Amino acid sequence: MVSRRNFFTGAGAVAVSTALVSRAGAASLPEAVIMDKAATQPPLMPPNGRPYNPVVTLNGWTLPWRMKDGVKEFHLVAEPVVREIAPGMKANLWGYNGQSPGPTIEVVEGDRVRIFVTNKLPEHTSVHWHGQRLPNGMDGVTGLTQPGIDPGKTFVYEFVAKRPGTFMYHPHADEMTQMAMGMMGFWITHPKDHNFMRVDRDFCFLLNAYDIDPGSYTPKVNTMLDFNLWTFNSRAFPGIDPMVIAQNDKVRIRVGNLTMTNHPIHMHGHEFVVTGTDGGWTPPASRWPEVTTDIAVGQMRAIEFVANEPGDWAFHCHKSHHTMNAMGHDVPTLIGVDQREVLGKINKLVPGYMVMGDKGMADMGEMEMPLPDNTLPMMTGRGPFGGIGMGGMFTMMKVRKGLARGDYKDPGWYKHPPGTVAYEWKEGGIAKPEPVRAPDADRMAAKPGEKVLQVTKPGKNHAH
Amino acid sequence: MQRLSTPLRRIALAAICAGAAGCASFSPDGGYAEVRQLAQQRSGGAIPSTAPGAGSVEHQVAALLAKPLSADDAVTVALLNNRGLQAGYAELGIAEADLVQAGRIANPVFSFGRLKSHEGIEIERKLMLPVIGLLTMPVTTRLERRRYEQAQLRAASEVLRTADATRRAWYGAVAAQQSAEYMEQVKNAAEASAELARRMAVAGNWSKLQHAREQAFYADSVAQLARARQTRTVEREKLTRLMGLSSPTAFTLPQRLPDLPAAPREVMDAEAQAMNNRLDMLMAQKELAGLASSLSLTRVTRFVNLLDLSYLRNTGETGERATGYEIELQIPLFDWGSTRVAKAEAMYMQAVHRAAGFAVDARSQVRESYGAYRTAYDLARHYRDEVVPLKKRIADEQLLRYNGMLISVFELLADAREQVVSVNAAIEAQRDYWIADAALQAALTGAGDSAAAATPAPRAGSAAPAQH
Repeated sequence: MVSRRNFFTGAGAVAVSTALVSRAGAASLPEAVIMDKAATQPPLMPPNGRPYNPVVTLNGWTLPWRMKDGVKEFHLVAEPVVREIAPGMKANLWGYNGQSPGPTIEVVEGDRVRIFVTNKLPEHTSVHWHGQRLPNGMDGVTGLTQPGIDPGKTFVYEFVAKRPGTFMYHPHADEMTQMAMGMMGFWITHPKDHNFMRVDRDFCFLLNAYDIDPGSYTPKVNTMLDFNLWTFNSRAFPGIDPMVIAQNDKVRIRVGNLTMTNHPIHMHGHEFVVTGTDGGWTPPASRWPEVTTDIAVGQMRAIEFVANEPGDWAFHCHKSHHTMNAMGHDVPTLIGVDQREVLGKINKLVPGYMVMGDKGMADMGEMEMPLPDNTLPMMTGRGPFGGIGMGGMFTMMKVRKGLARGDYKDPGWYKHPPGTVAYEWKEGGIAKPEPVRAPDADRMAAKPGEKVLQVTKPGKNHAH
Repeated sequence: MQRLSTPLRRIALAAICAGAAGCASFSPDGGYAEVRQLAQQRSGGAIPSTAPGAGSVEHQVAALLAKPLSADDAVTVALLNNRGLQAGYAELGIAEADLVQAGRIANPVFSFGRLKSHEGIEIERKLMLPVIGLLTMPVTTRLERRRYEQAQLRAASEVLRTADATRRAWYGAVAAQQSAEYMEQVKNAAEASAELARRMAVAGNWSKLQHAREQAFYADSVAQLARARQTRTVEREKLTRLMGLSSPTAFTLPQRLPDLPAAPREVMDAEAQAMNNRLDMLMAQKELAGLASSLSLTRVTRFVNLLDLSYLRNTGETGERATGYEIELQIPLFDWGSTRVAKAEAMYMQAVHRAAGFAVDARSQVRESYGAYRTAYDLARHYRDEVVPLKKRIADEQLLRYNGMLISVFELLADAREQVVSVNAAIEAQRDYWIADAALQAALTGAGDSAAAATPAPRAGSAAPAQH
């Protein structure tokens, strides 16, 4: 929900006093709109200015503006926020206008844009408009192109959005801390011709990662690579909304990476082409079909495809740890280790202890055991056929026949036509193929004295 | 006395009864009733009504040993059964015999002599009455009474000392038993870890190094358990000896030490109380009073030398006391006793200074014991209310982390071991509290060895922190 209360009169309970911004000055500033929901908000149809086809920010929203003498004026407030990472877990982050990441800024090629940035953080900040062509002094690098915006101060950035494409914004002041705390947002400059590369649905989100110790709320800002929460727009599955698409829609998905590692983003059921990069639109002749595109650190990709296959299609980062929530990275592998006999002994010392991991980690998704406060299960989320066994950077494209143009409401689970779901083979059904023997089994057998590793296989005596 | 003529008997009796505190006769229980009363007033628990070694003792002891032994029961058994204590009572009997003896006139001596010479046969008959004895009887009876009273005080303090030692031994034995049990749990945790580690290695998930590390912790915990069990044996044997039992299996101990009291003892004017109550102070006072009366006696009679009376607190290296006196009658022909008076005065002042110094020490002991007591109470409560619940909370949180696969079962077990070790430390703190409580009681009554309170009891089993 967009709350149109005036920022200066309404948002008193924040760390930094607003008294530093004079009321006289405040009267001439555009309203600072605050968002208090983490759900995906419907696209913001442009009320004035040049027309464009708005995007849908996954679990996010677009910042409204005011037109003043032909200039689009936005007001970003950098402030501490509480972001729900997924139901059951909240994080103390830094963001903009009530959420982290901040609102998406949408403008049209050639727009003159004026952005007021008020700092309500405890330390100075700045905003770097990642990928934009702009006067050097508007580039937002503290110390290099401008002084920092001190707490309580409001700075103004003004430039013309020259190049259409997909951009981001983030601080370039104590950026290690401020980005680890969630200071970032999306920026889209739509082409002047709103029919240029027109799509039916245009989704966007940022990739981000946090290291929040189980049971705590604030990210560890010094973590470099060993993050434990991998998120789309600071949301982890099952907190990430699905991308709802009408069958045969032409779809664009724009993804920006502000984590510290690359993410091979993988789509099921369709092929796509990369139509945009950090540098702008790719020439059509250079595009090749893919099902995964690797998005490096600090990069943006826009991919396009026609969603002609109905269903619930997985969409995720292909690094398997990135489709997990908080987990111990030093937990030894227990596969094939029968703990049942020692269970009693351990239970005497640790009442409530349960055996896990001897068959793999899928147990985790199935068992519902108490966890530390404010901690998401490592894998969670249930589908129509059981536990999905994933968390983190995972969501779905829900492609359905006959959805209305602006309908982004979750249509529920896909109803599969009969005979289109994998099934268990039974005697008397389709003939099972004959077992195939290795062509030279005798030669491949172990020689006498050769060490043979025991492979643990679930057997009848090993039933769990 | 039968042979004395009636007038003579009258004289003798008059002399005794006038001079001495009274006619002494044997008490029916060898003085135990007074000892019991003295001890009872100063003891935390009940002192058995039966003197040790009496016929019904075995029966009483057997009844007490039939159920798990409380600290008070252990004390009762020791007071009924401790052989050393019985030897102490024998000393009391000796003193009483001396007292009764002092109240009796020595038998008269009749001598008959027959001498034959050229002049004929001379027969000499002589009846000698112990007149001198009559003269010294009031003095000796008074002295013997004082010795007897001191023997009673000594016996009472022996009772208190034995009670105190038994109580401490009981706390030590119960705590060592509890500790050994907890060390068993540590060992079990380590064993489970080692067993899992073995399975990890067999399954190919762990290297020999990781396996060996878990195995090493287990091996260490086995050694620690052995030590804890040895401590349990030592502590139990100490209690067995104090209770005068022939076998350490003759009794069972409760599972746990008694809980801490809700609030620590507030001992108001502890020092004054100790001055009035301490048996050793009473003995020093009696000693002083005795010397004072001897001194005045010396001044008045001049011819009675009582100066060989030794200071009663003189104790030998092995703890036995040299007490006694000697009466020497001198005929005051050349020395009219002035030097003896001077010596007696100097001796009296010596005793006064000794007694005063002793009082200073006793007061200091009481203060020290009370300080130790309060510290032990605060520490035990800190362990109970802070350390153990915190470790429990850590263990609970670790279990939640295990549930989320954020940590492994090995870390969970390492934490369980640490929790057990802190419980063990809490038991030791609780035991130290009860021992400090006994030490304070001992300092207030002068029984027991208050120096022992300052010495920390042996650590039954403190495991090294987990290596994880």
